[in-house]
Amino acid sequence: MATATSPPDTPVRRAGSHRAPRSRPRARRRGALRNWLLFAVLAGPNIALLVVFTYRPLLQSFYLSTLQWNLGSPTAIPVGLANYADFFADPGTPRMLAITVVFTLATVGGGMVLGLALAVVLNRKLRFRGAARTIVVAPYVLSGVAVGLLWLFVFDPNFGVLSAVLRVVGFGSPDWYTDPGWALAMVIIVYLWKNVGYVALIYLAGLQAVPRDLLEAASLDGATPFRTFVSVVLPLLGPTTFFLSITTLLTSLQSFDIIRAMTDGGPLEGTTTMMYSIYLEGFAGGRAGYSSRSPRSCSWCSS
Amino acid sequence: MAPSELSRRGLLRLSALLGGSAALAACGGPSISESGGAAQSDIDWSGVQPASQITWWSNHPGTSIEMEKEYIRRFQEQNPGITVNLVTAGKNYDEVAQRFQAAAGTDNTPDLVGASDVWWFRYMINGQIIPLDGLAQHLQIDIADYNPIFYEDYAFDGRHWALPYARSTPLFYYNRGVWQQAGLPDRAPETWDEFERWAPALAQVVGGSPLGLGTGTSWAAWWFCNFMWGRGGAYSQEWTLTLDGQETLDAGEYVRALVHDKQFAAPSQGGDDGYVADFSAGVTACTMASTGSLRGILEQAQFEVGTGFLPKGPAGPGCPTGGTGVAIASSKTPEQQLAAGMFLKFLTEPEQTAHFSAGTGYMPVRTSAVDSPDMQAVFAETPQARTAVDQLATTRVQDWVRTFVPSGDQYLTTAIQKIVLQNEGAASAFAAAATEITTSYEQNVARYI
Amino acid sequence: MCERGRRPAVGGYATMIIAVAVMVLPLVWMVLASFKDMDELYRLPIQWLPESLAPANYGTATQTVPFGSFFVNSAIATVLGAGLKMTLGLMTAYALVFVDIPFRRFFFYVVVCALLVPQQIVLIPNYALAAELGWLNTYQGLIVPGLASAFGTFLFRQHFLTLPRSILEAAEIDGAGHWRRLWRFVVPLSGPTIAAVGLVSIVTEWNDYLWPLLVIDRPEMMTLPVGLTLLMNFDGVPNWGVIMAGTVLVTVPVLAVFFLLQRRIVAGLVTGAVTG
Repeated sequence: MATATSPPDTPVRRAGSHRAPRSRPRARRRGALRNWLLFAVLAGPNIALLVVFTYRPLLQSFYLSTLQWNLGSPTAIPVGLANYADFFADPGTPRMLAITVVFTLATVGGGMVLGLALAVVLNRKLRFRGAARTIVVAPYVLSGVAVGLLWLFVFDPNFGVLSAVLRVVGFGSPDWYTDPGWALAMVIIVYLWKNVGYVALIYLAGLQAVPRDLLEAASLDGATPFRTFVSVVLPLLGPTTFFLSITTLLTSLQSFDIIRAMTDGGPLEGTTTMMYSIYLEGFAGGRAGYSSRSPRSCSWCSS
Repeated sequence: MAPSELSRRGLLRLSALLGGSAALAACGGPSISESGGAAQSDIDWSGVQPASQITWWSNHPGTSIEMEKEYIRRFQEQNPGITVNLVTAGKNYDEVAQRFQAAAGTDNTPDLVGASDVWWFRYMINGQIIPLDGLAQHLQIDIADYNPIFYEDYAFDGRHWALPYARSTPLFYYNRGVWQQAGLPDRAPETWDEFERWAPALAQVVGGSPLGLGTGTSWAAWWFCNFMWGRGGAYSQEWTLTLDGQETLDAGEYVRALVHDKQFAAPSQGGDDGYVADFSAGVTACTMASTGSLRGILEQAQFEVGTGFLPKGPAGPGCPTGGTGVAIASSKTPEQQLAAGMFLKFLTEPEQTAHFSAGTGYMPVRTSAVDSPDMQAVFAETPQARTAVDQLATTRVQDWVRTFVPSGDQYLTTAIQKIVLQNEGAASAFAAAATEITTSYEQNVARYI
Repeated sequence: MCERGRRPAVGGYATMIIAVAVMVLPLVWMVLASFKDMDELYRLPIQWLPESLAPANYGTATQTVPFGSFFVNSAIATVLGAGLKMTLGLMTAYALVFVDIPFRRFFFYVVVCALLVPQQIVLIPNYALAAELGWLNTYQGLIVPGLASAFGTFLFRQHFLTLPRSILEAAEIDGAGHWRRLWRFVVPLSGPTIAAVGLVSIVTEWNDYLWPLLVIDRPEMMTLPVGLTLLMNFDGVPNWGVIMAGTVLVTVPVLAVFFLLQRRIVAGLVTGAVTG
């Protein structure tokens, strides 16, 4: 297949060789040069791809954010930082930021807590826990669009299975589709359903790496299981928690598919997070210049 | 593309591969200029020969992909020299439009593109499509035979920028079984006053608010035209916002009261298409839905479905139209545009129009198509389809700020959602929309026209 | 169940059963719905089981849109994309850990910071570039822009740092070049991490939506998630039966891969987490 050829790495290799250290003995220098070449061959293609398809567009987006430009228009006016000023002056901005914060906290924090709880249970010597583990992680591998569509039908207040179940128990269905608060809750629930298994899996691995004798020592000291967990196990899970908070934060900030398939940011913009608004303004609304400003402000808060 | 353009592209391509980011800032992006706006193409078509290949971007409205392929087959039979490539460019009008805008300035633009009521104007101010008047004259397209409301929807500045293709209007759908149980005459209410008199009896039969309202994007701000125009209000007069006009506010307050005080109407709880599903399942007694939904509703409802005109307000009837037309891209050569024009002419000829309407439920866009055997057969089989055609006489061209201002429909939808879902007063809901619309107009429209 | 643990595990079992039920029931509902016709789907009160198991919706779904070619395209994009992505990740991580140059850390940050850039931001510039290159509606357009490995490189690097140096030093003394050291010594020691990165790559490629939606417009080049949304009927009542049938078709292959690889994946994702 013609597509399998790897992209050219020459430019990076050349760029690398310029940077070889200067004031060293000739042999060392040759060794250093060889290492640079080797590094360029191995890491060059990947880094070149990142530069071309991630960092270059990032810079370009920043440039676009200084323009007043309709997507599709051949011309634009430079407006400096006016788009940013508009963004902060927009009366809808604080609400959107609040929605973003709620969504992020609920999906990251909620995901970590639920995932840890699940991991603790699945770490006990229960029958079928292997099968249970696999099943719990399974939603993580599904397409966000498919998951969104599937749950949209589950949540349908009139014809969905959830409302039928709630009716049996004697409750009415919440207005998942028309109340901004419930809609946000719905999107968060679906997000958690899809991703909590991943968190549980990683925590499970962390739990299994906890040395058994430490636990036994703690229980000999008369510590309750809960105390043991808090003072022995949790600290040992520190690196795992750190890793998870980073990876889940990234996925949460970039979540797009589920919102797009379920609510498209509505109702009443109640599920429009920062990232989703970039899509809505720039792509659906065609205000590309204006939309390019949000990513910047987002990078500020995440860095 | 001119040769110099090609070599510039070659250079860009090279520098792109090298990853030189600074030089690439302009690649695919806009050039800096105060000028801009609609294409000024008044070509002398007489010496132009049609191109042999053209591309049509469609979302196949009303699940019409097989029909569209059939029209292409028929066209190619008549014009063996021209091949039409049909491209599925999205699942709805918005996706087609987004793709078309993203493709601007690249080689990947189509010759023909779906141009829905809320998008064609943006194509025009971006200079992405050509005015069709000269081409129509050259191809001897029978303009007078198009339904004038549909045709004039694409007019700006004395020129026309698309031809109507899959066009629809809202209808009043009612459950005849429920009507009978409530002891009402077998027809839609003439006026909203009459609906209010009928509503208590209907509410008793269905055990809830009888009228279901959809609140989704590109829908709520559409049916609201009925209430608003029926009371003499409007979103705008040309570019002048009239959202604070007394009639417009009255209409908003009327809908708010209908939902929250009298509880004769209720927003559907089920997603964008929920109002259709609710009605088809018998949850609500009546609803306003597009003519495009007729086929689906008839298929699914387990009861007799009646259709009627949208009820009148104190100032008379009010009925918007919607759907999509087809436009021709400006970035193409005159040869390609000519071939595209030939296909567009063919596509909207009475024969195809009637066939399309019969198969999808969209309106026949040609006046003469209404009397065609195809349409007569449709009317005989589903008399409900006739209602929409008759109602056309009461329709009018849309208010500009909804269809022409980027995200205008979105802002109006939000306002109506606030009124219907959250019982917010019309004055504050519309005031917020007015602010947003004004900004969008100033930044994205004003300097182009 | 004969429980031999020291403590009664009723609570544990209850939690496990609830968790499994929450995860599985929506999927079961999806499968059930895929066998129902419109009338059953919109019936009140709710219809729990389909009246027949005739795959009518699957027929409609596959006729409405060419699922066969969607499947082939998804498979090609996934196998090539995930395969190349992992290779790039392995090579980059090896270079970052075992090739001694100054500014290694800088390059590591170049790779990892890319994780912070959301796809929506780079979308329009990348589309313009793909169009300039003539890559629209091609496999390279589908695959190459998302090919760079950031997350995989990160996980591989974390894993490589835990490898005993002695093995590689022994290999070096035996005269094995870097290429051989990578493929003969490092890779065989990284099975679980490779499985984990493999899964994440496969899942990402298979489920990718926004980019394929933009860069592909010919049905014969579309991938499954994009094709799936074509089933959403416009201007009418959504036929959930057909949509659910499509969803099942999209979901089953990736679930199958997951069940095949799951044992290794668990172990692999762990190395990144524990040493991170």
